[in-house]
Amino acid sequence: MVKFRKLTKAGLLGQIQDNFKKIIASDASSKSIVLSNDLEINLQRIKVILHKCSDVVYRDFIFAQNEQIRLALIYIDGLADSGQISNQIMRALALEVPMAVPGQNITKSEALEFIKQRGLCISQFKETEQMQDIIHAILSGDTILLVDGHATAIINNSRGKVQSLSNSEGKTMVRGPRELFVENLRINTALIRRRIKSPNLKIETFKVGNVSDTDIALVYIEGIVNEKLVAEVKSRLEKIKIDAVLESGYIEELIEDNPWSLFPTVNHTEKPDKLAAMLLEGRVAILLDGTPVVLTVPNLFVEYFQTPEDYYQRFLFTPAARFIRFISMIITLILPSLYIAVVSFHHELLPTPLLLSFAAHREVVPFPVFLEVFIMEVVFEVLREAGNRLPQLIGQIVSIGAALVLGAMAVQAGFMATSTVIVVIFTGIASFVFAYSASIAFRLLRFGLLVLAGTLGLFGLISGVAVIAIHMCTLRSFGVPYLSPIAPTTGADLADVIYRAPWWAMFSRPRLIAGQNRKRQEQGLKPSPQKNK
Amino acid sequence: MLKKIAFLLLLFLLISPLEGCWSRREINEIAIVLGTGVDWTAEGKLRLTVQIANPGAFVGEGGRGQEATNWVVSAESKTIEEAERVLAKMVPRDLHWDQSIILVLGEEMAKKGTNMVTDFFQRNIEPREIMWLMVAKGEAKNFLETYSELEKTSAQAAGFLTRMKTGYSVQLWEYAEMLASKGVQPVATRVEVKEVGVTPGLDLEKMTPIHKQVEISGVGVFKEDKLIGWLDEYETIGLLWLKNEFIKGVITIPSPSESNKEVSIKIRRGSTKIVPEFDGENLRFTIKVKVEGDMVEQQGREDLAKPDKIKALEKEMAEEIKRRAIVLLQKAQGEFGVDIFGFGDDFHRKYKKAWRELKDQWDVKFAEAEVNIEVEAYIREISLLGKRASSPEK
Amino acid sequence: MLEKGKISSIQAIMLMISMILPTAVLTVPAITVKSARQDAWFSIIIATMAGLLIAWMVVNLGLRFPEKTLFEYIEDILGKIPGKILGFLYIWWFLHMNALVIREYGVFLATAVMPDTPIIIFHIVVVAVAAYAVRNGLEVLSRANQLLIPTTVLLALVFILSIPNMKLSRVLPLFDAGLFPIVKGAVVPASWLGEIVTFAMIIPYLSKPKEAYRVAFLSILLVSFFLTTSILEALLIFGPNLTGSWIFPTFNAVRMISVGNSLGRLEIIIVLAWVLGGFFKIGVFYYAAVLGSAQWLKLKNYQPLVLPVGIILVALSILIHDGIVDLLDFLKRVWPPYALIVFEAGIPLVLLIIAVVGRKGGRKIA
Repeated sequence: MVKFRKLTKAGLLGQIQDNFKKIIASDASSKSIVLSNDLEINLQRIKVILHKCSDVVYRDFIFAQNEQIRLALIYIDGLADSGQISNQIMRALALEVPMAVPGQNITKSEALEFIKQRGLCISQFKETEQMQDIIHAILSGDTILLVDGHATAIINNSRGKVQSLSNSEGKTMVRGPRELFVENLRINTALIRRRIKSPNLKIETFKVGNVSDTDIALVYIEGIVNEKLVAEVKSRLEKIKIDAVLESGYIEELIEDNPWSLFPTVNHTEKPDKLAAMLLEGRVAILLDGTPVVLTVPNLFVEYFQTPEDYYQRFLFTPAARFIRFISMIITLILPSLYIAVVSFHHELLPTPLLLSFAAHREVVPFPVFLEVFIMEVVFEVLREAGNRLPQLIGQIVSIGAALVLGAMAVQAGFMATSTVIVVIFTGIASFVFAYSASIAFRLLRFGLLVLAGTLGLFGLISGVAVIAIHMCTLRSFGVPYLSPIAPTTGADLADVIYRAPWWAMFSRPRLIAGQNRKRQEQGLKPSPQKNK
Repeated sequence: MLKKIAFLLLLFLLISPLEGCWSRREINEIAIVLGTGVDWTAEGKLRLTVQIANPGAFVGEGGRGQEATNWVVSAESKTIEEAERVLAKMVPRDLHWDQSIILVLGEEMAKKGTNMVTDFFQRNIEPREIMWLMVAKGEAKNFLETYSELEKTSAQAAGFLTRMKTGYSVQLWEYAEMLASKGVQPVATRVEVKEVGVTPGLDLEKMTPIHKQVEISGVGVFKEDKLIGWLDEYETIGLLWLKNEFIKGVITIPSPSESNKEVSIKIRRGSTKIVPEFDGENLRFTIKVKVEGDMVEQQGREDLAKPDKIKALEKEMAEEIKRRAIVLLQKAQGEFGVDIFGFGDDFHRKYKKAWRELKDQWDVKFAEAEVNIEVEAYIREISLLGKRASSPEK
Repeated sequence: MLEKGKISSIQAIMLMISMILPTAVLTVPAITVKSARQDAWFSIIIATMAGLLIAWMVVNLGLRFPEKTLFEYIEDILGKIPGKILGFLYIWWFLHMNALVIREYGVFLATAVMPDTPIIIFHIVVVAVAAYAVRNGLEVLSRANQLLIPTTVLLALVFILSIPNMKLSRVLPLFDAGLFPIVKGAVVPASWLGEIVTFAMIIPYLSKPKEAYRVAFLSILLVSFFLTTSILEALLIFGPNLTGSWIFPTFNAVRMISVGNSLGRLEIIIVLAWVLGGFFKIGVFYYAAVLGSAQWLKLKNYQPLVLPVGIILVALSILIHDGIVDLLDFLKRVWPPYALIVFEAGIPLVLLIIAVVGRKGGRKIA
């Protein structure tokens, strides 16, 4: 059961806020908003701007020297160093502020100056009256101190070090940040905040799990995301009634569209930079406390061919890389079946010398090709599974090395033909090329195709492929066709499928994902040397 | 959902490999036919001869290098398919025709008529219409039994020889097309078994015996589907020119001022245009040949790198081509009386209506036709040597 | 509405191409070339005119009754009882045509690809795959088709690879056989292009019905283009005599291809591209039959009909002809008057005339 933890007190949002909402709705005027003298109004205004941001902490308290003076601290949990805030700001102002003149309390009008001079044990601060600066400072990890009766805010430098995990043992990246999500939800939200310093980045928190009572956060960018999508995700999350969720995989299974399909319709990532990019395309992320794996919806099949490097390296290299990934997918799916079909049904496809050499190798092999490939595939899967269970370094040696050695031995012993071993091992290697979660689907489907190819040759294989294609066309992920933008084709979105359009030409967000505000950037960003006048 | 799965399972079982693997033929259960030959025996039967590869002998390393690369086996029967069935009782594997690269017809078979052979190879899926068709002087069986030095089998050797287009080469479908058209009579590559020299070896005893080798030697000329005569290699080149197929042949002509010394011209490209003229009665063809070649060899020491000498060479070259063409035309019109050049097709293209009347007696008309030949020859390159430098004449 | 999906104009064009082309490429060339010889390509142009005319009729009729398929407006035009009778005939026709198509496919696969496999296996597999697509509705059918249609491009690739075997002189002289054989040769391709009648089942589900004319015309033109290409390919390679003697000339033309000296015998790949197209060809007619029956029976959901119709299709396709000779003879002699004159041109024309004269049908989308 999900408990909606409302961080904003319902009663606080009064009429002032409604008016204010209208003001900030028009972007132009919000830039020039200045603070008011009233702390309450200021707080409410900030809360309106940062509504649905569950990681923002509002702490109002009373000044140690004068009970009339109310103070408020605003910062982002996880991004700001909360130890520093409580030790150096809170403690000083709420408990330990020295008397300016012994026995005489400070008046409201003197408070700001006094706090600035004597109240803060902090090395750096700034003053501002602009709302815009305040929001920016909060989102950057600074702490805002508002003093009742003053239209000035103090920005305290409290940017903490976000404790993320550096990517040392996971996938190596050619280029790009090494940071990874961790098991702590707050740190994870901070990691996202650090990349998208927009008040529109919304983080809504729920609880899920009757027993485990796990924190779960819904993250999206308001103004980019499709509102219906957010509502849909929320409604699906609210339907979850389970005793515990220990990993985001629980959530994935409970909210996906096609539970019987082998293809995952919910994507996941551990990389904050990738998540930021996905949020910016209008996706919704689901973070769960206790796991570094973040879910994203909707998930399109093409995502499995896109890697963060594609966006960090120069755009000209992408088509080649994506092509390799695509070919690897095809190989993973059909190469062993194709081999069976050709060798035991359609020999004519082989050039004469190749056929003769195949035939020569197969003279001594006791099994039909189908059985041979099947056994070899199973062996390879066993080795791969063993590799997953062993410590990482040994695991790799086992999965690849043992496969090679075993293959060579099987050939020498006359169990297997050389060509079979080549085909199976190459297929195994190719299945590592693209995203793991999709490759599982293909690896399983491969066995089905093996049977079809072993029975009906290429006709069986092609029928199998057709069924898979039709099946993938029936899939939808949160209302978005799984195979878009290929089928159905959405013209402009193809700019990120086969190739990646250069950044200066990628004008729009994916049409079927992003609800509104599809414009990514201004026209005419293409760099060119400045012409002489 | 359960129903769905049950349905899928049922479907899967229905077509599962346990039920039967109808068209499956494992690669080690097939006999790969590399070359096919058909003879007409004295007893009036068809004899199908196939050359089957022995895959083990094809793999060099660790293979059984000393084994014979192929096995030639034949069977006699009334039809090809029946002969194949007879073969099936001798060959422990399924015959597999896809890789057959040549179809050799024995001389007697070709005289008897090719239609009773070619149908099998066109109708069925496995044999390819792109196999090279050839007519053997003598028996096709002997031809397939020969041995090749560079290639593994004689079928491959013959196939590759034809593919190089050193002579006139024709694929089964091209032959069938010529046969189907009334404007041209078919020709097919002629092959022969030649006894070639002894392979040199140190030890006399180990010396291989004089072995037989395949050779391409001109073409066989057909009237309808029956062989009626041969053309030798010299004439074949002429045939190719008149059929507008220019292979990289050589023309050898005497040196302009040293008549006992020869000059060789390698033909680079050329084209032939046949212009038919018909006035209702008389038929006349003008053959316009245009040839370009490079001078590649000169026996004499004359300085040929001069425009006037080249002009003279070109003139001589044109004369030579014309001579060959005339010899060939006389043979075709006189001796054979069949249009092997496809003049009929050219005529058809120009005189649609007249063709309808003439097509059934075209060979007669062709034999009576008057033929003019106009040759333009050009020499473009003379390779690396200009004037030949050699010891001064005494 | 039985069908909730909407498809875009491009998807519709692709679907129509898949619906007509696969078997047309296979069987039409031999029949047309036998009659029109080297001018067969001209026959296709004449057939295209006929196809365009039929397409115009069908779209015109369809747009008079927006959001209604053939089976629904046929009753609006003719009244309930005659409408039901004609509707039933159309259901039969869709089934019969589909059974023929399935048989053509089975025959082709059984002769050209896997000679030892019983033909019914192909029928079952093809119908099962098509049924899966049909069950999931028009959107999925057209999306999967869109995904797999690029294999049609292989036809163009085949043409390019065959160029070394071609001789332009083989299609000369022009107009050798005279006008009558050319027109006669146009009949069979016209009956294939006339299958565009099935578009009447899809017009209501276009996301932009305004583009229906464009969709229909473009589909016909593209199909004609590919058909002409494959006929010319066979003609330029084999000449009219040999082309007419093959049963599947395009297939034999593909067999001629060899890339370099070692890579040849690739026809199986092309064949499988056709097979892939066949799934969708069969799928569209299957869909039309299923949707039509559901509308005819006034059902709320067409999915229960998918399985029974599939079984009927498999059975019908086996029972309908004894062998390939019978099938080809039927396609050559009986099919054109039966399909072209009655179902593709005749009935739509009558319907259109009655609709225009009787001022039936709602607003026409301009």
